[in-house]
Amino acid sequence: MEQTTVNRRPLLLSTTSSLFLVLWLIVAAFPFLWTVWGSFKVEADFFSRENWQLAITGLNTIGQTGSAFTGDGYQGAWIERDFWKAAWNTVIVTVSVTAISLVLGTLGGYALARSARRYTLWILITALVFRAMPHITLVSGYMLPFFEWNVWGALPTAIIVLVAINQPFALWMLHSFFLSIPKDLDESAMVDGCTRFQAFRQVVIPVMWPGVITTGLFSFLLAYNDFAVTAMLLNQDNQTMVPKIASFLGTVQTEGAVMYAVAAVVSATVPLFMLVMFFQRQIVSGLTAGAVKG
Amino acid sequence: MAEIRLNNVCKRWGKVSGVDNFDLHIKDEEFLVLLGPSGCGKSTTMRMIAGLEDVSSGEIWLGDRMVNKLEPKDRDVSMVFQSYGLYPNMTVYENIRFPIKVRKVPKELHHEQVMKAAEMVDLVDFLHRKPAELSGGQRQRVALGRAIVRKPTVFLMDEPLSNLDAKLRVSTRAEIKNLQFRLKTTTIYVTHDQIEAMTLADRVVVMNLGRIQQIATPTEIYDNPANTFVAGFIGNPAMNLIKGTIESGVFSAENIRIEGLPSQHSGPITLGFRAEDAELKEVQNAINAPVYAMELLGDSSMIALMVGGELINIKAPKDFRAEIGSQVSIGINPSHCHLFDAESGDRLSQDI
Ligand SMILES: Nc1ncnc2c1ncn2[C@@H]1O[C@H](COP(=O)(O)OP(=O)(O)OP(=O)(O)O)[C@@H](O)[C@H]1O
Ligand SMILES: [Mg+2]
Repeated sequence: MEQTTVNRRPLLLSTTSSLFLVLWLIVAAFPFLWTVWGSFKVEADFFSRENWQLAITGLNTIGQTGSAFTGDGYQGAWIERDFWKAAWNTVIVTVSVTAISLVLGTLGGYALARSARRYTLWILITALVFRAMPHITLVSGYMLPFFEWNVWGALPTAIIVLVAINQPFALWMLHSFFLSIPKDLDESAMVDGCTRFQAFRQVVIPVMWPGVITTGLFSFLLAYNDFAVTAMLLNQDNQTMVPKIASFLGTVQTEGAVMYAVAAVVSATVPLFMLVMFFQRQIVSGLTAGAVKG
Repeated sequence: MAEIRLNNVCKRWGKVSGVDNFDLHIKDEEFLVLLGPSGCGKSTTMRMIAGLEDVSSGEIWLGDRMVNKLEPKDRDVSMVFQSYGLYPNMTVYENIRFPIKVRKVPKELHHEQVMKAAEMVDLVDFLHRKPAELSGGQRQRVALGRAIVRKPTVFLMDEPLSNLDAKLRVSTRAEIKNLQFRLKTTTIYVTHDQIEAMTLADRVVVMNLGRIQQIATPTEIYDNPANTFVAGFIGNPAMNLIKGTIESGVFSAENIRIEGLPSQHSGPITLGFRAEDAELKEVQNAINAPVYAMELLGDSSMIALMVGGELINIKAPKDFRAEIGSQVSIGINPSHCHLFDAESGDRLSQDI
């Protein structure tokens, strides 16, 4: 008798927690799965006003294309409406922003972490203030000079602004990672025959790698998901994916254009999943404090 | 391999003085130990020699080069850090190899040199492990192996044994001594443990508050301390120091009277003698005081007495027993006494 009561409680607990997890997973994953599913339908099905079940059965899709699934949305978005160009621009912007942020962030964060001067604190505080500002304030400040200098609309302009927005965060994050690495490590490297920079490159950075990956991923996501800066600063030709999707949604007059947006949304989300999957080990150890210590 | 000279080296941070007027000449192949209490500037001195800390004034010479302005990598020193400073992402093998790799020693020689160093520090079985998978003593030996893999001008070791347990400390101490004897490289070794200093050193530099107190061989420091600081720091127990007055060769204070001392001094003075230099016997010329406490140490007994307002220790045979409060008489040979200036604490001339 007693045995069962003792056993029942953990059972109850584990069932509840599993149920909760499943529920949470459904709530979190459903919108995405629903969108993936719907992206292979036509607008009359996925955005049907009369009957939402059409999205599942796909009667109109069968009627219009002859099969239950269609790649029309993707075809339209990627080829007709040049979404591939937006995707390419996104690659350029995100890779540049991540690379520049990491180069400046590791060098600056290392210098600040190893400097004994008192003004390092003030540099970091100032950086925090800039980080706290809404992105749009930076953009509105930049608008006029960019028009005057005739650099508005170009990719490098957006890259520079995004780096400016992201740098404080990258600096803070990397700075605290560097602080967690004992100074003895660089010092023994320098006695062993390294210059300061070699010690940084050959000894400190390899130990720091999870921190660099984590910071890089967050920088990447910021650039990838940005709307405020890219929508305001890029002209039609140079648009990245997020403003491009927004512009699909803005042109719903043409039948099917909204399906372009759905297909584009799915296309823009998949790489993120792959990225997180690929780097998950580094991210976990980067987010776990103390992981970098020997 | 070379001699090292430090000419009036000072280190200041703003108004804080870390090392003051450090003047030292270290001979080639010498094993020199910097000894002093915590915060006396030992590490700072060593870090200035390694180039990890700028000197505020003075000159550092390694061999015939003035190295004040040189980067650490150009000074040709090897250093063992107190916390080892091993590279956590590299194996033991790569750790030991790192100095010769960055110094561009030809690749063909790497393996042979690493293996030789690993054998010397007895690490051959651990070469593929990461530092995190080693015990404290093994990590210590990796740090040592990394230091000896090339032949530097000088070895610097900053309290390398402080993280080891007592037993391991004794054996590693012997290893270091043996290693230095074989390699014949000038070595500077920092410690606050006087037993380490006494057993390892050719010469000891006793430091306090950033200043050199005495530079001498271990025996000399024990037998003829240069001032009351050294006398009170070296030895276990430290030298008994009693404040009193001297008049024509007779020292006196509460419960003590010693005749036959040098007669050229007079006035207030500090008298020192070691616990083992006292003899238990009924004499006039000595200490007469009640027993304050008794400690039985196994090989001997330690008697604590209150003399001249200070607690002093006397070493007695192991079978000696006395009640607390009972009177004892202790004789001290005047030739075993040390005299120090009451003001400055400096040693006074002992000639009669
Ligand atoms: N960066 C610094 N700024 C100001 N004072 C410092 C600095 N580094 C060290 N000091 C001071 O210099 C003095 C000597 O320090 P040092 O590290 O050389 O001591 P140490 O003899 O090695 O002591 P320990 O045995 O505890 O290691 C200390 O009083 C310390 O407070
Ligand atoms: Mg120290």
